[in-house]
Amino acid sequence: MLRLVARNFVATLDPITLLVMFGQPAFLIVILGTMFSQLIPSVGASGSYVAYLVPGMIASQMITGAVLAGRIFWLDRRWAMVEQIFSGPFLRAEYLAALLLTALLFSLVGVGIMVLVALPLIGLTPLSPFEGFVILGTIALGSLCFGGLLIAIGGRIRSANLYFTIQSLLQYFLIFISTVYYPVTAKTPVVLRAIVYANPLTYAANTVRDGFTHSFGPSDLIGASILAGLAAITFGLAVLSFRSLEMGPVQ
Amino acid sequence: MRPGEVFGLLGRNGAGKTTTVRVLTTLLPPTEGRGYLFGTELRHAGREQRRRLGVVLQSESLDFVSVETNLTLYAFLWGVPREVAKSRAEEMLELFELGPMRKRKPWGLSGGERRRFQVARELMHDMELLFLDEPTVGLDALTRRRILDYLAMRARGGLAIVFTTHILQEADQLCDRIGVLQAGRLRAVGPPSEIKRRYRGARAVEAEFERPLSEAERRAVGALLAARGESLAILSDARGVLTFRAANAEDLVAELSRWAHGADLDLVRISVRETTLEEAFVTLVSEDATEGPGTPGAP
Repeated sequence: MLRLVARNFVATLDPITLLVMFGQPAFLIVILGTMFSQLIPSVGASGSYVAYLVPGMIASQMITGAVLAGRIFWLDRRWAMVEQIFSGPFLRAEYLAALLLTALLFSLVGVGIMVLVALPLIGLTPLSPFEGFVILGTIALGSLCFGGLLIAIGGRIRSANLYFTIQSLLQYFLIFISTVYYPVTAKTPVVLRAIVYANPLTYAANTVRDGFTHSFGPSDLIGASILAGLAAITFGLAVLSFRSLEMGPVQ
Repeated sequence: MRPGEVFGLLGRNGAGKTTTVRVLTTLLPPTEGRGYLFGTELRHAGREQRRRLGVVLQSESLDFVSVETNLTLYAFLWGVPREVAKSRAEEMLELFELGPMRKRKPWGLSGGERRRFQVARELMHDMELLFLDEPTVGLDALTRRRILDYLAMRARGGLAIVFTTHILQEADQLCDRIGVLQAGRLRAVGPPSEIKRRYRGARAVEAEFERPLSEAERRAVGALLAARGESLAILSDARGVLTFRAANAEDLVAELSRWAHGADLDLVRISVRETTLEEAFVTLVSEDATEGPGTPGAP
């Protein structure tokens, strides 16, 4: 399985893709942090918008990792590498696990880059081992959850246009209707608030944010449980999608 | 299949060749019937059996890296040691004439080059049984010959090969046995010579006379054929050489010699051309077309 993970990295990550995928969130921290902080004078525990934004962007790395896993899977289907790999000494379960592990590793590398970019901006205080564990665990669960979801969708769709449209829509929907960029306040419309709280990324962003501000509470435990439950469900959906995966050309 | 055997799977478009390859390589579960892969029933065959297989599918598959990296990456996936992979990649690049394009991405290659690349990549790892689904499609004659010669050499070394093709000449040249699929059923199995003998149908007979036949003589030959239940399907009649098709060609040779002698006409030469595999194949699938799909009675 580790050979498949290594292959995923070598075969699908060209330098420009890497630069865009890792560079874009770091770029957004700098740009959004600078521009939005003029509009949002006080937010979160510290009152600094950048300090609020950074943990959210770190949490959103799980989406970046998941998108990559979905993309690898789709391209493997499109270019018949799924069939080629399945005709070799690999189990379907190993291929699925390798995709999810790729998403997880990619997310964690992204988190590392985010932290390095954010350090000079917000001056992070050192995390306790427990806080570090919870943050990384949340990222891991989120990667599994969203990676599983995109793989499940990718296994059912036979059109590249449709898949990438759904992926983009989902990606922006999940990131923007969550607490990644801004908090839910009393002024947030009720319907929007309900959608934000139905979005698993909200729980992940809140947990990561609480980790960085050393303020874990019971709500984080609930959030992590919800995320774990959703990860189990989407993993199950991905397995089902794999079991009934139709081989052959896709458009 | 035994080690070193080459088996050709023939059939018209949609006959079920690719589906058969997919089932035999465990990519598709069989819906009915029974098959064995290295002694294991196909429904239970898995990783251990696939480890001994090589598969070149009909659909192009590639990774988004250079030709050379594709080869070494594929070898890495199969657990081939790095040094072995490197030297084998050099061998394949040379054998399949891919050396000049080693740094190029496979999707930038021509159709024939991509096909060569597909076959080369599969040969990067060790195997006991190789499935090739139309490996020579889109290749020029020279490259096709080179690949077939290489496969024949590997077969002599003990590699068993199953391959599908529409180029029946290459099946005739390479295969120890062939199977003809029609509407998902195996209609005939045997060595090419046996298939040709069994389904030879009408064969071309070439008779050369001392001079071109007159109209009356041609009618007489027609009557002779008609009397034996053959229709006079003259393929050509040029400068005394009459070429026609006949189902019972051997009998006709003697008959025609007698007739020429009686007509005081000198028969310089008469020969019956050997049935090609293509002719036998056409006869076989035409029989099926007449009988209708799925007709039982496979030998």
